[in-house]
Amino acid sequence: MAVPMNFVAREAGSNLWRNRLMTVAAILTVAVSLSLVGAALFLRQGVSNATTEWQHGVSVIVWFHPSSSITEQRAVGDELAQLSYVKSCAYRTQTDNYNQGKKYLNGLLGSASSAVTPAVTPASDNCVLKNPDEAGAIAAAFRNQPGVRNVSYPSQAIHNMENVTRTVQLAFLIVALVLLASASALIVNTIRLAIFSRRKEVSVMKLVGATNWFIRIPFMLEGLVQGVAGAVVAGLVVLGLDWRLNAASAGHFTSTLYKMRLTGGEVVLIIVAVGIVGLLVGTLGSAFAIRRFLDT
Amino acid sequence: MITLENVTKVYKTGTVAVKDLTFEITKGEFVFIVGASGAGKSTLMSLILREELPDKGRIWVAGRDLARLPHWRVPYLRRNIGCVFQDFRLLSNKTVFENVAFALQVIGRPRHQIERQVPQVLELVGLGNKMRDLPEELSGGEQQRVAIARAFVNRPLILIADEPTGNLDPTTSKGIVQLLDRVNKTGTTVVVATHDASIVNTMRKRVLELDNGEVVRDQSRGVYDVELDDSSAQPVGARSKGRRGTVLR
Ligand SMILES: Nc1ncnc2c1ncn2[C@@H]1O[C@H](COP(=O)(O)OP(=O)(O)OP(=O)(O)O)[C@@H](O)[C@H]1O
Ligand SMILES: [Mg+2]
Repeated sequence: MAVPMNFVAREAGSNLWRNRLMTVAAILTVAVSLSLVGAALFLRQGVSNATTEWQHGVSVIVWFHPSSSITEQRAVGDELAQLSYVKSCAYRTQTDNYNQGKKYLNGLLGSASSAVTPAVTPASDNCVLKNPDEAGAIAAAFRNQPGVRNVSYPSQAIHNMENVTRTVQLAFLIVALVLLASASALIVNTIRLAIFSRRKEVSVMKLVGATNWFIRIPFMLEGLVQGVAGAVVAGLVVLGLDWRLNAASAGHFTSTLYKMRLTGGEVVLIIVAVGIVGLLVGTLGSAFAIRRFLDT
Repeated sequence: MITLENVTKVYKTGTVAVKDLTFEITKGEFVFIVGASGAGKSTLMSLILREELPDKGRIWVAGRDLARLPHWRVPYLRRNIGCVFQDFRLLSNKTVFENVAFALQVIGRPRHQIERQVPQVLELVGLGNKMRDLPEELSGGEQQRVAIARAFVNRPLILIADEPTGNLDPTTSKGIVQLLDRVNKTGTTVVVATHDASIVNTMRKRVLELDNGEVVRDQSRGVYDVELDDSSAQPVGARSKGRRGTVLR
């Protein structure tokens, strides 16, 4: 059946205006809860970026002196391979590490980075551990081996960070879920109010043979507007977070915050996800609100 | 057009509102349903509209078996039935024109059709000059005419009216019933539930009397109260079950 859109839009618009206080309350609650959902997703993506960014899951890096011999390096490599808690190691040549580090160095040192050449860059053994907690033990055992300059385990900090963020994330998500539930309840309530204030119109509509869908659509549009309006606010919050992260980490190329940075595509994806949740909460909430009313 | 077969309706409260109703109303008929308060007139109306389903028996309206009508088809059934009530049920924030147009809008009729049919039907009910007025600016009788226009604008097969003159003075009531008669003359089947003796007595149409949910009289060219004029009174039991009074005409 053809639903005249201008009729539907007029009905929904006048209702939103008539119950504007409830409308604003519903939009705000949706906005707050979706902002939390967005922030949780943002945090998750950031942490996952920080952990995979150029470490690629490597837990321990054994750096060799640029002047160390191949024999010394091979001895260390063999020893590492024999340890039961080391999953695998990958040897990176001086050139590999030079290329990898160049972009950070450029940012860090500017024109001075031209002083850095592959010849002065250390080679390394990058190892993935079965248990990242053993990284400290490896560092202690290999730090003083011949040919080894030092042993770093950058993942340790990230490992700790992961544990913290996992807790924060869970808290965010729980609060977001509670708020989403109350946002849905508020939407259901505004729609109920709207139906109540127009019960006479709805009863006339039923009497003259309007289909359930025809009656339902203006109210669902109303819920959709509320859900999407809340999602737009939440989307702005996510953009704001992204802006804050970029501003705070600008120039700090080796900082964890810098490693957390999200790509434009990732930010868009989070905003789209938030938008879809808002849309669903709005339309399903209002559909639920009318359901009982239309049961004839 | 409307057929009931052994229809019984018991409300959840245990009230038996109508009991073993059997009758038929054919296309183009004009029928008064009379009876004391609580006799079951309004219940009969909601059964025809399929607002309620009977506990026993079967109902056919406009060729459809209501018990077999799926939920989503009910609106399409209602497009064939115009309704008028004692309290008019007009929307106070819409003009006369908009009130009538609303009935066409919500069943998805195109604008050009609305702009043609609404003035036409308002002309028919004698309100061609009041299209821009709000319901509160009209008299009760005029409001009921708007309600009739709204019920009739879609040219339904059936028009049912539950106490359409309940709020009106005798002269105005007469005008309303004459209007219903005009509607009937276009071929629409008209069913009027009423307490109003004078309109029944002046119209001399078929009368179905309910008492405690049962048909106690089915009389063609009947009167409100059988005691007043029994020249054509026909107790139901005297006729074969399910037959109507049309044979007497
Ligand atoms: N929704 C309902 N729930 C329970 N009982 C009801 C309901 N509607 C009507 N009844 C009962 O059913 C019986 C018939 O009511 P109905 O409204 O059909 O009578 P009526 O003839 O229209 O009366 P009136 O002339 O006063 O309008 C009454 O006893 C009434 O109390
Ligand atoms: Mg009644």
